[in-house]
Amino acid sequence: MITFLSLLLTGLSTGAIYALVALGIVLLFKAAEVVNFAHGSLLLLGAYVTARTWEAVGFPTAVALGVLVGALAAVIVERLLANPMRDAAPVALAIMTIGVDIVIATELNRRMGPDIVVVGHPWGGTAARLGDVAVPANRLIALLVAGALIVAFLVAFKLTDWGVAMRAAAEDRETAALLGVRLSRVTTLSWILAGALAVVAGIFLAGSPTPGLSPAVGVIALRALPAAILGGLDSTTGALVGGLVVGVAESLAAGYQDQLSFLGRGFGDVVPYVVMIAVLLVRPAGLFGTREVGRV
Amino acid sequence: MYRRILLGLGVVLLLVLPYYVGQFWLRLGFSVAAAGIGAIGLTILTGTAGQLSLAHAFFLGVGAVTYCALAGTDADLVSLGWPPLVAALAGVLLAGLAGLAFSPVAARLRHIYLGIASIGLVVIGQHVLNTAAPLTGGFNGRLTPGIVSDAKVSIGGVPFGAYEKQWYVGFAFLALAALLARNLVRGRVGRAFVLLRDSEPAASSVGIAVQRYKALAFVVSSMYAGLAGVLYAVAIGSVAPSSFALDVSVLYLVMVVIGGLGSVAGAVAGAAAVTALPVLLQEYAGYLPFLAEPGSGGVTASHAARFVFGVAVIAVVLTRSGALHRFRPSALGSRS
Amino acid sequence: MITIDEVTVRFGQVTALDAVSLTVAPHTVHAVIGPNGAGKSTLLNVLSGLYRPAHGTVRIDGTDLAGVKPYEIARLGVARSFQNVALSGGQTAMDSMLLGRHRLMRAGPWRTAFGTPGARREERAHRAAVAEIATRFGLDHLLERPVAQLAYGDRKRIDLARAMCAEPKVLLLDEPVAGLNAGETAAVSALIRRMRDEHDVTVVLVEHDMPMVMGLADEVTVLDFGRRIAGGTPAEIQDHPDVIRAYLGVAS
Repeated sequence: MITFLSLLLTGLSTGAIYALVALGIVLLFKAAEVVNFAHGSLLLLGAYVTARTWEAVGFPTAVALGVLVGALAAVIVERLLANPMRDAAPVALAIMTIGVDIVIATELNRRMGPDIVVVGHPWGGTAARLGDVAVPANRLIALLVAGALIVAFLVAFKLTDWGVAMRAAAEDRETAALLGVRLSRVTTLSWILAGALAVVAGIFLAGSPTPGLSPAVGVIALRALPAAILGGLDSTTGALVGGLVVGVAESLAAGYQDQLSFLGRGFGDVVPYVVMIAVLLVRPAGLFGTREVGRV
Repeated sequence: MYRRILLGLGVVLLLVLPYYVGQFWLRLGFSVAAAGIGAIGLTILTGTAGQLSLAHAFFLGVGAVTYCALAGTDADLVSLGWPPLVAALAGVLLAGLAGLAFSPVAARLRHIYLGIASIGLVVIGQHVLNTAAPLTGGFNGRLTPGIVSDAKVSIGGVPFGAYEKQWYVGFAFLALAALLARNLVRGRVGRAFVLLRDSEPAASSVGIAVQRYKALAFVVSSMYAGLAGVLYAVAIGSVAPSSFALDVSVLYLVMVVIGGLGSVAGAVAGAAAVTALPVLLQEYAGYLPFLAEPGSGGVTASHAARFVFGVAVIAVVLTRSGALHRFRPSALGSRS
Repeated sequence: MITIDEVTVRFGQVTALDAVSLTVAPHTVHAVIGPNGAGKSTLLNVLSGLYRPAHGTVRIDGTDLAGVKPYEIARLGVARSFQNVALSGGQTAMDSMLLGRHRLMRAGPWRTAFGTPGARREERAHRAAVAEIATRFGLDHLLERPVAQLAYGDRKRIDLARAMCAEPKVLLLDEPVAGLNAGETAAVSALIRRMRDEHDVTVVLVEHDMPMVMGLADEVTVLDFGRRIAGGTPAEIQDHPDVIRAYLGVAS
């Protein structure tokens, strides 16, 4: 039971991190019909900046720098590339982001080499105990921070002008534009938010129990894609549920891998994708996504 | 007419080159032929039928592992010792079957959704390949049996070794693959692919079974990937599960995008560019002052090639986004 | 014979068709008219299977369309044109029109890829058939041009010609002359009339061009806000007080 609880807690915290990344992916899809395959690279870029600067400027400033760079990179992609081709088919936009991903990932790979870069969380590798259940403090803090960010996001989404404009734009771009919604502003803001959320997630992903930042963190971040799609690419609720489902499923599969040994070692890494395909077989638009039927 | 002359010259060139060039170029040519076949398959799926797929590496893996197991003679692993060409054919068929098995997912998902779901296939495939160690050699991989015998033959006084023969086998397969693809794309099936890409309602209104045709495009593309996998395995000499990681799928996408989505000839050109660039940069690194040694932290040949690929993909999509999908796959006819 | 019985279609809160019933007699041109948003195109989309009615039944020649997929309906011999033209820009006019004959052709992937003699013979025969129809439409000089390069009027006629290429029993036309000039409109009217008289096709026509409808239709159904408010011969419709109020009064 204790194992189960600690696995559940680990899963929820990982899931909350995935949810942050998935939320950004969904946001971009809603705002501009972009599926951003470069999201993992943006995350890695920001976390890399934090990892390279914390010794000089201290952890909090380094985090701010990382988030800033992540958001800035996202805006550059949006202004320079995504915006000029905003009327292209979604597939073309997605392919463009794959190109961006290749460039950023190559440069980061070159800079990091085979090393693992420490991000320098003040809480390091300490474990927190909740009764009999032990989890890395990093994960617990991640859960709290991600939870707070998600609540803040949802409140903003419901209440602020940006949120209202965003939802209107996602519903029907042309009508929203006619009603005075400044689409390009909504879109830019969405990119900034998506980039920033990804970097926060990246900083936690690179902390305990993960030894530090390496290109492998980008591969882990990629699991936010199945999370986003199994929830439904156009649903913020879906991103949250998808993130948590993926996190918990992965944690349980890894924790009970002795009992699941017939599925092969390291099955936990694959679980997010298995869950995704199972969900898509039943619901091709994800759990909370709107099906693309409707009007012809 | 002009095209025919060019094609004829190309064929003659490919036939005589082994008389003049050395092993380096023969091996590179064979790799290009292998990649060209895979790229043709992907351009049919993503270009002609409009279904984004990153699953290509998985189907390459299925073809390659099938070939290795059936033609292999390695005593420690599953090895049936079949004739290489029969094993290659089996690799193609099995890759097609794997595509068919995934087609219930592939046929129901549109565009982007398939793109993401297909990543899952690669990740799961990696896991399966790693786990099925008796078949694949697990983490360490296994040696690829040659597709031609090592015995030297002499033609016109010139001794022909394995690499020369392999060259001809590779380009014969490529020519066949290109011919079949051209017929397919220009005929009834290819026309249907294009219409279902641009408008599913219009496709169904002329009697095209949209889901069946999407599944068909997926199966065709996986068979091409299967053959590419067999030849790729032969080209690199040994295969491990990591030979079929997501990165390989991304490179195939780069090939078909820079070749112009939907173009068979473009796919082959793209495959040649993507395959040859890193190899050539590496080979001539000594003459290129901006390139650094691997491990030095500078820009190596492989980094430089990847930068070029990324920028090329962005540039092509930016300048040709209109041509990618001339009409947005959205509303046709309102409900007024 | 097409029978539409108490058909209701809803999009969320909006009722696009509200218990609409009508019968289309074989080998006639049946026009469906009404103001924008009346549900005319919705009706066509129900007939071609793209929308599923929430209630009611649709029968074509006795076949209940419930659960029949759009492509299966097409294979029954139901062809359609689209209001905004649903062609692939990169394809030539010939390819676009050959797609109309998709249901009449048989070559599958293997035979297409290997270019078997049978597949090639089939392709040649259908190209000839398309060329003939294209000549009838005055499109024969455009056959090898990519559709995206052509003028709107030409694309509109190709869309219509594609439907005719299917050798349909039933033809569903969604505003076939919208955006065409008077000469082109007269030509399209003549083509539709020929389809009815010489090829025994049953035509359901959604159109705003009143002179064209009144000159061509054997029978007219008038929709307004998703309800059928009148039906009859063109002459009867023209004098119907509800129609004048709901539609003709607005349009004139």
